[in-house]
Amino acid sequence: MIDRTALAAALVDYLPRQRWFAGGEAEARDLSVTSVRVLREWAWPALVQVVVETRAASGGDAMAPPEPASYQVILGLRPVDSRDAFLEGKPEAIISELDIDLGRALAYDAAIDPELSVAVLQHMAPGEEVERARYLGADQSNTSVVFDERLIMKLFRRLSDGPNPDAEVTRALVEVGFPNVAEPVAEWREDNHDFALVNRFLVGGTDGFVLALLSLRDLYDRRCPPGEAGGDFAFDARRLGTVTAELHLALAKALGTAAGESAAWATDMEAQLARVRLEGIDAEQVGAVYRRLARVDDPGPAVRVHGDYHLGQVMRTDAGWFVLDFEGEPDRPLEERRRPTSPLRDVAGMVRSLHYASQVALAEWGPEVDDELVALADAWEHRNRVAFLAGYLGAENVGQVLPGDDADRRLIQAAFELDKAVYEVGYEQSHRPDWVHIPLTAVQRILETTP
Amino acid sequence: MTASDLGMSPDPGITGVPSGSAGLTTDNRWFQNAVFYEVVLQGYNDGNHDGIGDLRGLTEKLDYVQWLGVDCLWLLPFYKSPMRDGGYDISDFFTLHSDYGDLGDAVAFIEEAHRRGIRVIADLVMNHTSDAHPWFTESRQDRTNPRADWYVWNDDDQRWPEARVIFVDSEPSNWTFDAQRGQYYWHRFFHHQPDLNYDNPEVGEAMLNVVRYWLDIGLDGFRLDAVPYLYERDGTNGENLPETHEYLRAVRKEVDSMYPGRVLLAEANQWPADVVDYFGAGDECHMCFHFPLMPRMFMAIRREQRYPITEILAQTPAIPEGCQWGIFLRNHDELTLEMVTDEERDYMYAEYAKDPRMKRNVGIRRRLAPLIDNDRRVAELLHAMLFSLPGSPIMYYGDEIGMGDNIYLGDRDGVRTPMQWSPDRNAGFSRADFAQLYLPPLMDPVYGYQSVNVEANVRDQSSLLYWVKRMLEVRKQHPVFGVGSFEVLSSENPTALAFVRERTDTDTGERDIVMCVNNLSRFAQPVELHLGHYEGYVPHELLGRVAFPPIGELPYFVTLAPYGFYWFQLVKEEA
Repeated sequence: MIDRTALAAALVDYLPRQRWFAGGEAEARDLSVTSVRVLREWAWPALVQVVVETRAASGGDAMAPPEPASYQVILGLRPVDSRDAFLEGKPEAIISELDIDLGRALAYDAAIDPELSVAVLQHMAPGEEVERARYLGADQSNTSVVFDERLIMKLFRRLSDGPNPDAEVTRALVEVGFPNVAEPVAEWREDNHDFALVNRFLVGGTDGFVLALLSLRDLYDRRCPPGEAGGDFAFDARRLGTVTAELHLALAKALGTAAGESAAWATDMEAQLARVRLEGIDAEQVGAVYRRLARVDDPGPAVRVHGDYHLGQVMRTDAGWFVLDFEGEPDRPLEERRRPTSPLRDVAGMVRSLHYASQVALAEWGPEVDDELVALADAWEHRNRVAFLAGYLGAENVGQVLPGDDADRRLIQAAFELDKAVYEVGYEQSHRPDWVHIPLTAVQRILETTP
Repeated sequence: MTASDLGMSPDPGITGVPSGSAGLTTDNRWFQNAVFYEVVLQGYNDGNHDGIGDLRGLTEKLDYVQWLGVDCLWLLPFYKSPMRDGGYDISDFFTLHSDYGDLGDAVAFIEEAHRRGIRVIADLVMNHTSDAHPWFTESRQDRTNPRADWYVWNDDDQRWPEARVIFVDSEPSNWTFDAQRGQYYWHRFFHHQPDLNYDNPEVGEAMLNVVRYWLDIGLDGFRLDAVPYLYERDGTNGENLPETHEYLRAVRKEVDSMYPGRVLLAEANQWPADVVDYFGAGDECHMCFHFPLMPRMFMAIRREQRYPITEILAQTPAIPEGCQWGIFLRNHDELTLEMVTDEERDYMYAEYAKDPRMKRNVGIRRRLAPLIDNDRRVAELLHAMLFSLPGSPIMYYGDEIGMGDNIYLGDRDGVRTPMQWSPDRNAGFSRADFAQLYLPPLMDPVYGYQSVNVEANVRDQSSLLYWVKRMLEVRKQHPVFGVGSFEVLSSENPTALAFVRERTDTDTGERDIVMCVNNLSRFAQPVELHLGHYEGYVPHELLGRVAFPPIGELPYFVTLAPYGFYWFQLVKEEA
């Protein structure tokens, strides 16, 4: 029906243009088509799932995956003279023209096609009756479509050998009754791959980062102590802390705990430290904190964690905070993302995110920024960090996933915060040099406040 | 419209009016679409110039009430009373308090209101009487008199320890010893308000007689005060008992069979999930107040996000057919904070009650305008939400002209000062000597009657008063605001509260769809609405009838001014 060679040739040009494709043109050049599945009756418009494999990176590009990677492409095919409205203004979603036995076809990413998106949903969940599909756009590793403002389908783009961590963790959390996660409705799993997941859509939800910016804009305009500002974020931060603790307890219950390995954590941190150049900071001092971490006897249990925890991964809804996207950092190997670690790693991630929020809002404020606003940004961060930690540490039974000694807890948390900030320095150096001062300030501050 | 048209000349001389209720609609479910207006009788208008507002004074102002667009007046208790609790301590259910007038005044007032298409409901206290009520005087004499068990008596004060003391500031116990009878009597409120004993069927029947009496005179219903506490049972907290619901069903049955179209409005300050029990299966009260919504509307504006509102609406259960919520911004009581969490209460105190005198019991005693720093834009936004969220709006007298309060007056009097009619002596409220007034009118530079008054508002076409009147006109054209379905729209911007009300007319089959978009922020905001469901419809803005671009496949984009809002009717585009 479709000539695989022609298809592969078309994808060579298409893949490097996709946000979810981790490689560059070199990696795409050598792709091979692993499977082709026709998902509905072979007629216009046609719907085909294609899995491709790219070869290993040739070295040099740090962002490319170190090993062969598989990707899922959902192909929509309509007659080449189609002028459907959904095709307009989305050049990145157009693959190419192809000759198939139905005629000459325009091939494109079917996620943008409302009719075919519904067909994908019906392939996964034949019982679900929906009327409308709304394309949400592509993320680093997946593409989302909302149906009737009721269901959300996540098409996984980069496929992992083994369970997709998002699907795996969501399933596990629901099984133990953790309520603050979008309930899965259907999943598409074949040949040891998770291809897609359908969850209940959190109607009326707002991303935590957006809410934090809202609070900060109010503060910067009023110029009063953050506790007196109308848009105070502290009780949202406190509730978020509590939900985070409940998340870790649920993960421990659902996927088990292991003994924490402070020496191994420290080794990973040292390795990252060695890769990053910290301007104006004595890396030796950072290393000293890691070495103290390595000597902690009781670092508490290791549990499965969120892994990429920040304000953008939580959503405020009418039923409180919900946690989203358990894929972990997509650039890390799957095996590492699934490995249990200290829950304080997530805590550190959220605390760093509070710092970033205060600074992003400051940058937005532009030329009006003065010393007073800079001080307010710090005060906001401090207030919400304290509230978040109070919510986390005050949660019932949270001691079960923490070290017995609070001084150890503080040291471990500081080490994870340092590790995260060091990672951010590296990231900003290669992507947004103007922002490097944010994590550098953080590294400096953590060193000063860690006894 | 001129000031004299509104009955502001000293003697409007309303005479020779036809009696009867020809002006009322015949719809028995009128309350589902009605706009209520709460009046504190002694504060509205003084008809006999003794310094206290009365029914004659209110009657003189009915033209104003009608002009504003009010469908139903709600009066606080006007019965004979020693006035130790604002008239909620009734000593004779069949007589008016002499300050307010006599029965003839009441009849004339109700007729005049009905002639203008305005209904009237009044407070009724069923739970207790004043200790000056003859029933209690008789009951306390001994243990054998004919009314000996019309009240709740006991030999000790230990029974029903589970029942909380409501007025913790002034009452040590729910029991008070009566030396004359040598027993304790039960009271859920003040000690001078003994609870009636509904286990005695004679009491229930006597109260039904009170209900019949006033409905015969022409009242259109009652606000039932403190309704959850009618019965007591061992091992319970004495609130919301099945027996209480059973009695309410009996009252409703009487109203339905003898007085169709009259309404029972329950005051039960409880969580929505518990309050809905007072609707029964549509066979108890017609209406209940939605208490928790009100503080959250203020909180949403202060926090500039929709969650305080959408959260409580998400927790509000559906109500039976033929019922309605009563929603309000402010009333004669404090801004009650019983129905918020502890941390939210701390927040509300910090935000709205900076001076400790502003606090009272578990609430904040302020009028609308001072609560929102006299910000006209916020006043408009709050009213726009009040008029469009599910429920019938209940306005508080004076808020339509942006009246202030006087926190230095004791108790709840700070929000019950005289209605400000004009810049004349005593705010045009009374021709009595200033010193004779029941409370002084406001005279401060911001809210004083010299600048804030009905006459000034009437002369100024851009006043808050005209704006409120215009909004009520628009609301009246769309029954969907009263009885339509309610659905919150999804939008990524948390400062936006957007929802759709929808209703199909059962007679004409016509669909009325109204979309409301509110900006809770003091900054301009963009909003993208996902309206796939309404593709092909054209939004018409309801105040100016301007057609906006049609709704297409893409998210619908709207920009909102600070505290701005839109009401759109969605009209199906004819091909």
